[in-house]
Amino acid sequence: MERRNFFRITSLAGGGLLLGAYLPFSCKSNDDGVVDWEPNFFIRIGSDNTITFICSQSELGQGTSTGLAMVAADELGVSMDKLKLEFGPGSSERYGYLQDTGGSNGLRMVWQSLREAMATTRGILVQAAAQKWNVTPQECYCKDGHIHRRGLDEKLPFGAVLDIASTLQAPREIQLKEPSEFKYIGKPIKGVKTKWATTGTKPYSINIKLPDMVYAAIERCPVWGGELVSFDGSKAMEIPGVIDVMEVEPTELQQEDYRGGVRPGVAILATNTWAAFEGKKALEIQWEMGKNGLKSNEDIRKELEADYKTKSEVVADLYDAKKLFPRGRKYVSSSYDSPFQVNACMEPLNATAYHQGHKLEIWAGTQAPKLTRERVAELTGLPEAAIKVNNQPSGGGFGRRFFCDYVEEAVILSEKLRKPVKVTWTREDTFLTSKYHPLCKDYWEAALDTNNFPISIRYRGSIGRPGAYRCYPYSIPFMSHGYLKYKEGRLLPRASWRSVFAHPWGLGMECFIDELAHNAGGDPIQFRLDVLRNAEVQEQIQWPWVGSDLYPKKLYNTLEQVREKSSWGRLDGGIIFQGVSAICYNGSYCSMVADISVQDGKIKVHKFTAVIDCGLAINPSQVKAQIEGSIMWGLTALLKQPITVKEGVVQESNYDSYDLLRMQEAPDVEVYVVESQDTPSGTGEVGVPGVAPAVLNALFAATGKRIRQLPVTEELLMV
Amino acid sequence: MINGKRHSVEAPDAMPLLWALRDLLDLNGTKYGCGKGLCGACTVHVNGEAVRSCVTPISSLEDKEITTIEGADGNTLLKTVQQAWYDEDVPQCGYCQSGQIMNAAAFLSNNQNPDDDAINTAMNGNLCRCGTYVRVRKAIRNAAKKINGEQALEN
Repeated sequence: MERRNFFRITSLAGGGLLLGAYLPFSCKSNDDGVVDWEPNFFIRIGSDNTITFICSQSELGQGTSTGLAMVAADELGVSMDKLKLEFGPGSSERYGYLQDTGGSNGLRMVWQSLREAMATTRGILVQAAAQKWNVTPQECYCKDGHIHRRGLDEKLPFGAVLDIASTLQAPREIQLKEPSEFKYIGKPIKGVKTKWATTGTKPYSINIKLPDMVYAAIERCPVWGGELVSFDGSKAMEIPGVIDVMEVEPTELQQEDYRGGVRPGVAILATNTWAAFEGKKALEIQWEMGKNGLKSNEDIRKELEADYKTKSEVVADLYDAKKLFPRGRKYVSSSYDSPFQVNACMEPLNATAYHQGHKLEIWAGTQAPKLTRERVAELTGLPEAAIKVNNQPSGGGFGRRFFCDYVEEAVILSEKLRKPVKVTWTREDTFLTSKYHPLCKDYWEAALDTNNFPISIRYRGSIGRPGAYRCYPYSIPFMSHGYLKYKEGRLLPRASWRSVFAHPWGLGMECFIDELAHNAGGDPIQFRLDVLRNAEVQEQIQWPWVGSDLYPKKLYNTLEQVREKSSWGRLDGGIIFQGVSAICYNGSYCSMVADISVQDGKIKVHKFTAVIDCGLAINPSQVKAQIEGSIMWGLTALLKQPITVKEGVVQESNYDSYDLLRMQEAPDVEVYVVESQDTPSGTGEVGVPGVAPAVLNALFAATGKRIRQLPVTEELLMV
Repeated sequence: MINGKRHSVEAPDAMPLLWALRDLLDLNGTKYGCGKGLCGACTVHVNGEAVRSCVTPISSLEDKEITTIEGADGNTLLKTVQQAWYDEDVPQCGYCQSGQIMNAAAFLSNNQNPDDDAINTAMNGNLCRCGTYVRVRKAIRNAAKKINGEQALEN
């Protein structure tokens, strides 16, 4: 256990927030005569013994709601199958800065606060029962939603002591459970969300239907930075079900680019979604495309290449890399290209807003319910207290739903209509006029000694301060420059995309390290192990919320294990070739080996073996699921058509032109989870950045060819 | 007939079944994914066959038997597939999974002993952005085992 980390997270996440929530709450009676007790913002206990876990974090499919429910169930002493699930509204009053879900932080941000809150709740319940029985609290304990008396066959359901519990002060001392007492944590448990999803009953925001609700669809300016000149909605108005056509004024993209960036558009308002979609097709609109209307993705790449040739400062320097770099006997360099990508969540973006003048309610699957509420307050001038953001589970987020433009649109329309408005994006909208993972260009150079061993690495590319992200684990001295800049702003607005900048970073680092290993005549895994063995722990100083310090030893362990589990170097001379990668991201560590073959000019990926260290794995089934999914995500980016831009317009409009990896292409996957009692870290993204390099390194083993750009096309393989 | 109950809707002939189910009949288990029959999220059964409801106009469905994910309780095969999905903890975000389950059930009704190649081919048109394919494959194998087991018992 890394004590220092543990305490740091505790002091960040616990403290004032929880104590503030522990003023003795009085009970509230609901319509059925059931009395509810809500001792904090994570749990509600009813006098009918209904126990509801209120999940502060967003459920995007990554399973955070299940993981946190398991923590709550264990610490409180309730059966998982009795625990109901609700999502807390966006609220800094309730959850401080812990709530918004991004950077694989769902469990990490809140698990300690949640444990303390549940241990406190348990303490109050025990006190209440002790009072009722007229015994000491030490004679009582909680299990299966009841308070039991030690050594006696006597118990009371939680619901039976609420009258007393609601009058008690929280105990000063709380006792967290020991790992040996966990019934759920560490086991592959299924939660409410699995039940919902298999029965088609998950309450996505796209299902929202309110009395008097208007269904809206918006035709947006196809070029980022363009403007609306004029529109004619008369043909659209002829479509049955269309009620009205109106302009949507854009909102300015803010410095913190999660906010704003609604494109100029024309909205169709209708009595059902389909009519709104049909109406959209019948609109006649004139746009002024602006400067970006002349540009393609290749122009943007050239702007980055040109910026590389300008002088720039070194912004991070590890192990004296800057001093050592000029001492090389020989230099090698490689550049890596990754294109624009889109999140393509299966649930198209959508949001419902109801602006009633003095108050406003929102229903949306969002990763950032707190930020959305702040932004909507800023946009409408209403106080935050008048705004309620109901956070629904999402049909995929992957970073895109951290950006609130799609909620802003619903707010803008509802403000005009003073009715509930649901804006649903067509699938085409989500490809053509969304926000995107940026096109990246990354340059890696190394100074080698007389034995071709690297003595210093220089990086200049898409990440500004790799030191701050702590994504460079090796002991080879390393320096980086400020990030490469475009000449005239972005061609497409930016969104986070599963693993964000770790993806181009991982592509460059893990392909380049592989090249360096080859140059030095070493086995790719042994070489990495050698340059990890003595690497120093890197302290996280800049952004404590993105994770803990970097422990090269943990990455070392995952690499050693994956060497064993993948039968590295022990496959007997067939058509299968192997490649490796090792990634650390946001406190987690993942090494993977890809087994591939190349036949008829095509790559076939047969199998992935991965080993992940994510601290204490609350739910190993979901940890494995995240790595399985990340592999499919990474393979889509490696093998499939990306987002391309011609004259400012995105060319891929649906799943036919932006294909995802399919069942026939999905390799077998084996995931091993390192046993650990360290603070849990994230698992949603660490599996992504290593996928492309593992396959590309295997491709080198198979063909002797280094491919340094995504996607890998048949043409590239033929050259 | 939808899930054994007769329904009538007032809507233009060209309205796709998907939107009639979702917006008019409040059967939200069937999902809008692409609107062009490309992703499979909207898959339902029409007379037992897997059909993409986003490109199926309601006018073509008079007197047809439609089954959606909400009808699983009245359909042993569908229920078995659904249970296998739960047992393998297949869904992540879950949005495509109604379509995956409906497609898998239609496939298993025609092929009760599929190998992986047959499973891959049958499911190739159902996209999943979360990447649950490995578990989908496993769930179908397990559902097939169960179905065969049940039939063996009946015989």
